[in-house]
Amino acid sequence: MKRMMTGIIGALILAGGAARAQEGDALLEMSWEEIVETARGGEVNVFMWGGADNINAYVSDYIGGRLEEEYDITLNRVPLTDTAEAVNIVLGEVEAGATTGAVDMIWINGENFRTMKQGDLAWCGYVDKLPNAALVNFDNPAIANDFGTPVEGCEVPWSRVQFAFAHDTARTSEPPRSIPELLAWVEANPGRFTYPAPPDFTGAAFVRHVFTHVAGGPDALIGPFDRAKFDEVAKETWEILNGIEPHLWREGVTYPTSITQLQQMFANQEVDLFFTYDPAEVGTAVVNGIFPETARSYGLSDGTLANTNYMVIPVNAANKAAALVTQNLLLSAEAQLEKAQPEVWGAATVIEPDRAPDEVQAGFAALERHPSVVSIEELGQAALPELQADWTSAIEDGWIRNVGN
Amino acid sequence: MIGRGHPWLSLAPALGVIAVLFGGGLALGLAGSFGMGRGGASGDAWIAVLSEGRVWRSLGLSLWIAFASTALSCLIGLGAALLLRRSFPGQGLARLLFQINLTIPHAVGALGILWLLSQSGFVARLSAGAGLIDGPAGFPALTQDRFAIGIIAHYVWKEVPFIGLILLANMQSLGDDPESAARSLGATPFAAMRLVLLPLLMPALIRAGAIVFAFSFGAWEVPVLLGQSAPTALPVLAWQRFTDPDLAARPEAMALAMLIALVSAVLIRAAFAGRNR
Repeated sequence: MKRMMTGIIGALILAGGAARAQEGDALLEMSWEEIVETARGGEVNVFMWGGADNINAYVSDYIGGRLEEEYDITLNRVPLTDTAEAVNIVLGEVEAGATTGAVDMIWINGENFRTMKQGDLAWCGYVDKLPNAALVNFDNPAIANDFGTPVEGCEVPWSRVQFAFAHDTARTSEPPRSIPELLAWVEANPGRFTYPAPPDFTGAAFVRHVFTHVAGGPDALIGPFDRAKFDEVAKETWEILNGIEPHLWREGVTYPTSITQLQQMFANQEVDLFFTYDPAEVGTAVVNGIFPETARSYGLSDGTLANTNYMVIPVNAANKAAALVTQNLLLSAEAQLEKAQPEVWGAATVIEPDRAPDEVQAGFAALERHPSVVSIEELGQAALPELQADWTSAIEDGWIRNVGN
Repeated sequence: MIGRGHPWLSLAPALGVIAVLFGGGLALGLAGSFGMGRGGASGDAWIAVLSEGRVWRSLGLSLWIAFASTALSCLIGLGAALLLRRSFPGQGLARLLFQINLTIPHAVGALGILWLLSQSGFVARLSAGAGLIDGPAGFPALTQDRFAIGIIAHYVWKEVPFIGLILLANMQSLGDDPESAARSLGATPFAAMRLVLLPLLMPALIRAGAIVFAFSFGAWEVPVLLGQSAPTALPVLAWQRFTDPDLAARPEAMALAMLIALVSAVLIRAAFAGRNR
């Protein structure tokens, strides 16, 4: 009974809080100073993948600390294992007609953003309000399109990443440096390679590399989904991936189920190659003693996929003003520079450094990367654009049906 | 207030919570599986789920995990309870050690199994260090394996004390009298246990077994950590559908969750019915 009473009281408090929710349209009428004043003293609930301690610390301590100090805003970081969980919360709330949702911001890209945009779950049209948006070049196609979905002011870029492989120079002095080389290497080194089974995000990205290779490069796959083209490329891709299966870890009877598992297997020397959508992770793993000092990340001569990740504000976010202030801070030159520091995160910036203040420009120029992390310039020489979300989900489904069973 | 008045009245708050939270979730899940809430109702999700080979393979795996875990837990739990009920020096300590893992969360236990039994785990390294196998990778696959050995090992480790404790409590309330009577009428100790004590314990064992079965059939965290990539346990498949960025997969996730609840309810009902016949 007592428990029930606590529950009811809790619900009443929540309802009271909801009455303070801010209407998006009213905010768009305000000046930036008025928005900051509205946000002051409030809180912001940021839902984001929580699998990396350094990223969590950057958001909770650095961003959270500055929000607290400069704006009296409390940042609550809610860790997720899969971004779709947050999208599901927003969808459930909007379906139930809740206008004041629990989610104020989601770290997002790709299919999940497409879902939010298609379902009218993203709040759009506020980007011009952010003073720091001037630092970003929104005409850059790599920023204006999120896995082929036009951003159209419905989310704000945060970081750039590019896929990279990693090896241990002490164990594997000459790693394969293209997809054809990799396929041959797998056959020559049975049991020493595997990839996480899609729908794991990184595993699915690996499969897209093979798919792009079979298609003869990304140009053939740019644009909207093409069923005939897909069937043709997919057939050969599944043949290749089924063909290497007997040479994979555990003869391909099973696959790791997450990228974290592959990371542990590489650290434990169960496999000889690792890959990641965030090469800075390799440096972090060396610093934390998970990977040996001799671990190195590298790109492929035929290119690796690159993408931008973003922050989105749900259409029913209860604390939109605080979310705007948070987004503006995330985009600020100082915060982007801090995020790029190798000992903090080593994430590539989305702002144009030459639009930033001089001392920040100097900071970017002086960045030292961890010796285990491949340089952004070297990787960037061969960057492949991400496919549109229809392609990526068709490839995931196809893999599960034809290879993963 | 509680205890007086009509029993239904006193039970109302508890029943209300169950009806709203549990029954409400079930009803919403069922409605979701028919695509309600997104315009119209259709059985498409059920048809898609029931006609998919992967779902049936997952169902088979989940049934195997649940049956094997329940049978082993009941057997070992019963044996342990029979041993622990006798008084012996250090009995208190033995009982404490026996039940100590009841407080450990399933996810933590599953990670422990991973560190212990995986091919890069503790046992594999020890065996490699002792020269029993060529390298840690030569260790037999006990996690992420075809027969779900790691998952079953975890459930048995976790549920044996649960079964054991319920049986111990049950034996305490039964007392020694029924067995003593049988002994005084000439039954051997084994016959007294088999013909008198076991039938008396059976209702409690079936009840405890049903809880273990329902949990190991419907839980997600252990198979997601210790399971193969394909087939996955049914709850893992349901979760994958639920977190699929494609919103059209959500009714299928609900249908899978309903399937889990349905199969588990039917089997447990059958176990009780078989007992009462």
